[in-house]
Amino acid sequence: MAKKIIITNEIRKLRFFANEMTQQQLAEKVGASRQTIISIEAGKYSPSLELAFRIAEAFNVKISEVFDYEVKGDK
Amino acid sequence: MSYQEKKSIVSIVTGLVILIAYFVYTYTKYQAGVVIEGDLKFWAGAMLLFIAIGVVATIIIQILFHILLSVSIAIKAKANNKECDDKEIEKSIELEMVSDEMDKLIELKSNVIGFGVAGVGFVLGLIALVLDYSVAVMLNVMFASFSIGSILEGITQLYFYRKGINHG
Repeated sequence: MAKKIIITNEIRKLRFFANEMTQQQLAEKVGASRQTIISIEAGKYSPSLELAFRIAEAFNVKISEVFDYEVKGDK
Repeated sequence: MSYQEKKSIVSIVTGLVILIAYFVYTYTKYQAGVVIEGDLKFWAGAMLLFIAIGVVATIIIQILFHILLSVSIAIKAKANNKECDDKEIEKSIELEMVSDEMDKLIELKSNVIGFGVAGVGFVLGLIALVLDYSVAVMLNVMFASFSIGSILEGITQLYFYRKGINHG
């Protein structure tokens, strides 16, 4: 059985370093709702690849600098 | 609370009110002896009437909800920035009501729940017929399951907005 993967993100930190960008401003930039940004930030929703790339582009960084993953049960 | 959550709550409340109103209406008529259980014309008429009421009520309530929401957003925008113009207010309203991929995923998953409950209700209705219950019982079981399915759809949406959702 495939191991469970938990997707983590650095959006909160990146927003802070991007002139304290608000969730609403990020949502507008990537064409999503504020609710979606809140959920992604809290790890409650894993975005599609397209949205993930758009978020990375909004911060001018590579996608790997925004999103990472942990394999559950892996030490 | 987000726009989508508020919309789900409005849809749940509307569905509940219509379902309760249907059962109160039919139970009162049945208790008064105006209708007998086997009078299929009455049951079909009552269901059609409440389907029509449901459609009209949903449209009116959604319009009222969007008007009230737009007014509250406009008031908030004015309170935060007294110099904001109509265009900025319009933009705030549009941003609040934006629908994206997460909304579509939640809608898809909650639709599965709604159709599932309706399907179970259909089977239960057929089982009721096999067990020698009247056709009126079958019709009511089906009507109730479709309505409950629609209400559960709203509850599922609310749950996913609160707890989060994953692909797969």
